[in-house]
Amino acid sequence: MIRLALKTRPDLPLEADTIRPDYFAQKTEAEIAKLPVLHGNQFCALGDFFNVRGGASDQLVLEGDLAQVKRIGTGMEYGQITIHGNAGMHLGAGMRAGEIVVFGDAGDWAGAEMCGGKIHIHGNAGHGLGGAYRGSRHGMNRGMILVEGNAGNETGSLMRRGLVAVRGDVGEFAGAFVIAGTLIVFGSLGRRAGAGMKRGTIVAYQQPELLPTFTFDCVYQPLYLRLILQTLQLEGFSIEEEWRTGAYRRYSGDLNALGKGEIFVYDQH
Amino acid sequence: MQIEAAICAFCGCLCDDIVLTIESDRIVQAKNACALGKAWYTAHSRPPDLPAARVDGKSVEVEEAIEAAAILLTKARYPILYGLSSTSCEAQRHAVALAEALGGCIDCCTSVCHGPSGMAVQGFGEPTCTLGEVKNRADLVIYWGSNPAESHPRHMSRYAVTSKGRLTPNGRKNRTVVLVDVRSTPSSRFADLLLTVRPGIDFEILWALRALVLGRKVEPAGLAETGITLAQLTHLAELMKNCRYGVLFAGQGLTQSAGNQMNLSAAILLVRDLNQFTKFAIIPMRGHGNVTGVDQVLTWQTGYPFGVNFSRGYPRFNPGEFTMVDVLRRKEADAVLSVASDPAASLPAEAVQRLTEVPLIAIDTHESETTRLARVSFMASTVGIRASGTAYRMDNVPLFLKQALTSIYPSDEEILGRLLERVRELKA
Repeated sequence: MIRLALKTRPDLPLEADTIRPDYFAQKTEAEIAKLPVLHGNQFCALGDFFNVRGGASDQLVLEGDLAQVKRIGTGMEYGQITIHGNAGMHLGAGMRAGEIVVFGDAGDWAGAEMCGGKIHIHGNAGHGLGGAYRGSRHGMNRGMILVEGNAGNETGSLMRRGLVAVRGDVGEFAGAFVIAGTLIVFGSLGRRAGAGMKRGTIVAYQQPELLPTFTFDCVYQPLYLRLILQTLQLEGFSIEEEWRTGAYRRYSGDLNALGKGEIFVYDQH
Repeated sequence: MQIEAAICAFCGCLCDDIVLTIESDRIVQAKNACALGKAWYTAHSRPPDLPAARVDGKSVEVEEAIEAAAILLTKARYPILYGLSSTSCEAQRHAVALAEALGGCIDCCTSVCHGPSGMAVQGFGEPTCTLGEVKNRADLVIYWGSNPAESHPRHMSRYAVTSKGRLTPNGRKNRTVVLVDVRSTPSSRFADLLLTVRPGIDFEILWALRALVLGRKVEPAGLAETGITLAQLTHLAELMKNCRYGVLFAGQGLTQSAGNQMNLSAAILLVRDLNQFTKFAIIPMRGHGNVTGVDQVLTWQTGYPFGVNFSRGYPRFNPGEFTMVDVLRRKEADAVLSVASDPAASLPAEAVQRLTEVPLIAIDTHESETTRLARVSFMASTVGIRASGTAYRMDNVPLFLKQALTSIYPSDEEILGRLLERVRELKA
């Protein structure tokens, strides 16, 4: 295991895309401390900001308030990062495999355009969670994101595949322009959810305000949702029994796009 | 002395039919200009009464101020350049080079006005046209979230409503004008159809309009909060589909209300859909004289229209991360250069707070909140009055602005050019 403890809080944005378990796996403690990080517009050594303990491992533990530290674990291909504190922007963006666990909040664009692996955020997430960068054709494409707190606007926008589950509330335009994939929101689902969605599934447990281009289909018990909820339970989400066995109102849309997307709203009655 | 066909660079209309009368190096009359244009010419033709450069409030030689500014900027590790909407493309080009040399961020007023339009265009393209086409062809004009009578007073008479063109020989009689806004404004009286909508629900309306245009089902319940009925929207959708040449002018009511870039995305998608039935175009109602130009120059030089970062030596774009308000609000910027803009008076208080904490350098044509707050400030000559340069009209047509009066101040282009030269020397 490698431990990185923040010793100097950066006063400018610190871009630390070298903090990746797959980069650390073959390196010694001294080599890791020399890896470059971008502080403002100057490259510094990782060791200038972090006390590094251990080497040659793909299990990373980060300690401290890393809200100013951007790009942790971006593009990582294997290994595990555990963060005891907050994480900055672009956490695990574009990651391909492996796992990131944050015992704190994550900044905007966490898991943006990821194509595999798992991110578990125990606090709140920012905007663009699992979403797409401006001008991109798609957001996350495979993988799983779990958030115990709330998430911001455009959660899972332009998602291609994968699963995003948020225990708290999400902001506006959740699942906007989704191509496929699943977004489950246990708190309140913000306005304009699923705007422009082609396919894919959004599951809500409180009645959201739906766009005029979503139509009510039926009330039924989607079988596959039980499997997804069971997966979430195994991941530590508390799932009530009636969510598994209960009925859901199905709305289809967005009729302005392909119209094959679906929004399930849990039917309490 | 008279100057014919001068160009007023106050707003994005860039009216090029102004006749200036000049007496003893002052503009005494600006014929054809609107009230805003006249005020602009009057204010900027006053004799200069401030020192050309100040450092810590003391008057100094321009060269000394350049040196002070260059040192402050090169010491910074996350500087941001901002503004540039009321200056020439030549000056903007130097600003981009300066941001690159400094390894900092560069952002323009676009990020607090029509930045969402830029983001929407990146996602969905821009089915647009020039104002000349509007004048000659458009028979349906829609202003959405805009009050041109007060913000762009000659927009309707020169280009969009009463102007007579080749296929619109009777001007106003050949056109149907629709206004969508949250309240009645001085522009309302020019409208044939006025839709008063509730604030913050433009996305729902545009989205429902798309569905109606495409002949899809619309759930009336989804319109309950919008303030307008399905019948009203159906009427508008029919107007749009049956016109010969329609234009949607998108104002800041769309870009700066809930939904932001998604509102513009919806508007662009609506216009795209309408082109299955007729010819339709969208033009953002750009505010400042050359704010369109700064998007053009930044895109030409970096590939992105605003919110660009050079920390890694190459341009990166991410609105929300590298944009002025966000960089200041998160207390990331450690030096700010403001050009032809007044961020201290126009940005949110949280962002302005950061301006008071870091070295601030201001270049402007007049005294402002920002120049008063700045550690180093320069007075520059106004482009279009006391300096020449290129500007882009709101429809992306470039026009060359000629100097009308002499100036004791250097131009933005000259100041930024010298600053760039000095920064490059210090960095070397």
